Formats: sequence, C-alpha cells, structure tokens
Amino acid sequence: MTKLFDFKQVFTNIPELMEYLPITLELALLAMLIGLVLGLLLAIIKIKEIPVLKQLAAFFVSIIRGTPVLVQLYIVYFGVPMFCKYLNQRFGTSLAVASIPGFAYAVLALGLNSSAFSAEMIRSALMSVGKGQLEAANALGMTYGQALRRIIIPEAMTVALPTIGNSLISSIKGTSLAFTCAVVELTAQGKIIGGRNYRYFEVYCSLAIIYWLVTIVIEQILKIVERKLAIPEQVENFAEQQDEAQMGDGI
Amino acid sequence: MSLIEIRDLHKQFKGNVVLDGIDLAIEQGNVIGIIGPSGTGKSTLLRCLNQLEIPEKGFLKLQDKEIDLSSRKNKKEILELRQNTGMVFQQFNLFERKTALENVEEGLLVVQKKSKEEAREIALEELRRVGMTAWANHYPRHLSGGQQQRVAIARALAMRPKLLLFDEPTSALDPEMVGEVLDVIRQIAAEGYTMLLVSHEMAFVRNVSNRVIFIDKGVIVEDGTPGQVFHYPQNDRTKEFLAKMHMLEMEPEYSI
Ligand SMILES: Nc1ncnc2c1ncn2[C@@H]1O[C@H](COP(=O)(O)OP(=O)(O)OP(=O)(O)O)[C@@H](O)[C@H]1O
Ligand SMILES: [Mg+2]
Repeated sequence: MTKLFDFKQVFTNIPELMEYLPITLELALLAMLIGLVLGLLLAIIKIKEIPVLKQLAAFFVSIIRGTPVLVQLYIVYFGVPMFCKYLNQRFGTSLAVASIPGFAYAVLALGLNSSAFSAEMIRSALMSVGKGQLEAANALGMTYGQALRRIIIPEAMTVALPTIGNSLISSIKGTSLAFTCAVVELTAQGKIIGGRNYRYFEVYCSLAIIYWLVTIVIEQILKIVERKLAIPEQVENFAEQQDEAQMGDGI
Repeated sequence: MSLIEIRDLHKQFKGNVVLDGIDLAIEQGNVIGIIGPSGTGKSTLLRCLNQLEIPEKGFLKLQDKEIDLSSRKNKKEILELRQNTGMVFQQFNLFERKTALENVEEGLLVVQKKSKEEAREIALEELRRVGMTAWANHYPRHLSGGQQQRVAIARALAMRPKLLLFDEPTSALDPEMVGEVLDVIRQIAAEGYTMLLVSHEMAFVRNVSNRVIFIDKGVIVEDGTPGQVFHYPQNDRTKEFLAKMHMLEMEPEYSI
C-alpha cells in the first residue's frame, strides 16, 4: 500500500517548481507596475476632478472591484483577440492576434485589476502630502507635473510603501490564476506535477511553502527600503570648508 | 514708472466678495505693510498676485507687460509671474523630505535649470544671509518654527524675485521665535527688496515698512507712509481698527 502522505515528496517537488518562480515574479512585478502607473493616473484624474475622465475612471474602478479576477482574466483572454479581429475586419488592419502570448494577457488583466485597487490608496497617499508643499512648489514656479515628481510622489511613496508591498503580495497571489491565459507559472507547473504522480496534496503543500517564503522575503525587503527612505533622526551640522568663521554666524 | 501695477482686482468665493476692486502701484524698493481686520482679503490679495488663487477679474502690469490675472488659460504667463514673485507662507511649507539646502536649491534646479554647483552656491549664500548655514543638512522636522521660516525666506530669496510676498510670516511661531524671523525680514527690507508684508505685528509693520496700506472689506481704504497711517489715519475704519490694536496712542519708534 502506498503512503497516505509522502512527506519527502513535498520537498523534492520544490526544485522543479522553483524553475517557474521567475515567471511568477515577472508576472507579478509587471502587473504591479502597470497597476501603479495606471493607478496613479486614475488617482490624478480623481484629485484634479477632470470631467468625463473622472466618470470613466469611477466606472472602471467599480467594474473591476465588482468582479472576480478569474472572470477578468477570461474576459481579457477572450475579449482582446475578439476585439482585434473586429478591428481587422472593420478597418482592414492586420493585427496578429495569434502571436500575442498568453503572458501578455495575464499581465494586462492582472495589471488592470491591481490599478483599480491601488488607485484609492495612491490617491490618499498623494492627498496625505500637505497642500502647503504643493503651494510652495507652485509659488516657486514649478508645474504640477514637476511638483508631483519632485515633491509629492517621493513623500507619498513613504506613506504608501506598506500598501505597495501589500499590492505586490496580492499581485503574486493573483498570478496563480494566470493558467487561464495558458501561462505556465508556479501553480500551473504544480498542477502538471500533480497530474503526473497523483500527489496533488503534496505538490500544493510545496506551493504553499514557496509562496509563503516569497512573501516573507518581500516583507523583509520592504522593511529595508522603508528604513532607507526614512528621514534620519539626527544629522550633523553643516561645516563649510572655506570659511569656518561664517558658520552659524547669526544675524 | 511703477515696478508692478495691479488694477481692478476682484475675487469672490462662492458669492462671498473678498476683493472688491484693488488698485495698487508698487514702486521699486517699496516695503508695503498690509494691515486690516481678519478676513478682509489680505492673504487672498497676495495669493491672487502669484496666481495661487485665480480672481474673476484683475490685471497686473510687470515691465510693460500686462497680464490678465483672471485668465486660467495662459499657463506660461502664470509660471512667469510666479518666477517673478517669491512667497513666504504662514506655515513655512518647506518640503518635508528635503534638507534645508535642498529646499533652497529646488527652485533653482527645477525651475531655473541651474547647474548643481551654481544652485548649491546660491543656496548656501542665501542660507548664510538668514543665518542658517550650520543647519543646511537638516530636515524641516529637525528645525524649530523660526528656523524653518528662515529657510523658507532663503528659498524665496534664492529665486531672485522682483517682488516678495510675506503672508503673516510670524503668526505660526512661538513668541520667542518671532524676533529672529523679524530680524531677517528687517535686514532684507533694508537691502532694498520690494515686498508686500501682511502682518498683525503692528509695531513691526510700522517700523520696517516705508508704506502701509489698510484693507477693509476687500478695498484699500488707506494708503500712506507708516507715520501717516498710524498717526493721522483719514478713514474712520482705520482709526477704529488701530484703536482696537492699541496703535493710536503708541509713541512713534525711531529704531530702524
Ligand atoms: N478657498 C477659500 N474658499 C472659500 N472662502 C475663502 C477661501 N479662502 C479665503 N476665503 C474667505 O475669504 C475671506 C478672506 O480671507 P483671507 O484669508 O484673504 O483674509 P485675511 O485678510 O488674510 O484674514 P486673516 O487676517 O485672518 O489671515 C475670508 O472670509 C475667508 O473665509
Ligand atoms: Mg491671512
């Protein structure tokens, strides 16, 4: 009789699975990147109250939040090719639908999903930067874009960092659904192994361990970044090389 | 010819009329103290001048160039106007994630596109002027209110504006820090900068300005030398205000 639970198998699976970790990470990072950029755009639209775009953005966010990721992945996977074919028929373009890899669909769908969820946190992070700093930047003659890039986003970043970390973690978990777009990543490979040796339980245990470890590593990296970004508690007085006499010479 | 001419400035907030036709010619070297009761539009006037608020109507003439302050469209003119004016805020508004030095360099680098070395040189020079050289590497959170305001003044000065706008620069400070900031303002006034200074520090306004205007209900009702306005106000509202501020009985001070 075979063993009920093959403990060793849990660990022997890991090296083979690890080969697919890069795909999972790539998916997650790209999706998060799209999510942050698009989320920033949505946040700015909402903050600046740009008419029409504001309603469109709210509509988009509402749809994404109101539907499961799995459904969104299927809709993108089937919808984008249909849309391309429609364009081809209608306008005689020759978009090569078949050559788009499943990976691209998965990144797109996961990125759109993450943007809707990060938009609100990006907005509140941007809003958390005092209005005074924006006014000071404007008063110096900086454009909104310059103020955003130089003053507001760097400070908002530190506020949003924990949330950005969470969105990366949930993005990684989201990639486990990428098989819907025919992408073989960690989980998909796990299923393949399971199908080969019928040790599904063991392989899912291996997957759980890997995802969990990855999450722990990300959390640690985040802590380091947070420490790097923090304003130092104390700094030394500035000493001018040339004329020490002038130093600290008040009025 | 005046350095800057403001003409027919009107601003309301949702039907609440705040500026009701301001005309003001600012001469080179004018240090204009702006006084008046709370809520009469002193801050709004300054904020309209550098377009932090957009008035419904109003024109500003700077170097033979007339700018329509009410126009939202001309981004380039707005930026140009802002580069000609320096603003010092009540709440300092330093950039939290930048050191004192970086705060002063920021506009030089980003707006005036100066080289890193040049920006640093100018920034250090301005920090020295306000006595903050030793604190160049400190972040705003390390600095007292008075020190932050001095850095904010250096930041405005570094841009070499034609007109400096001070909006109650000492109102947010603890009493023991007011003096150091007023000293800096007094010093740059003496250097010949043209400035508008909104302040509730009546004695200081009288002492540092060479011209005082009194604004009430969105219009300038009194405009003259500190001596004229503080000792021989023509308008009843000015008299009433000064009496409330206990300024009428005070002996003039000759300690510039
Ligand atoms: N953004 C705004 N929205 C609506 N009302 C405003 C706004 N800013 C200012 N006001 C109103 O405009 C009026 C003038 O305000 P302002 O700040 O210019 O007065 P002030 O003379 O500077 O007063 P204080 O001496 O108290 O600073 C006030 O009644 C104020 O409530
Ligand atoms: Mg005010």
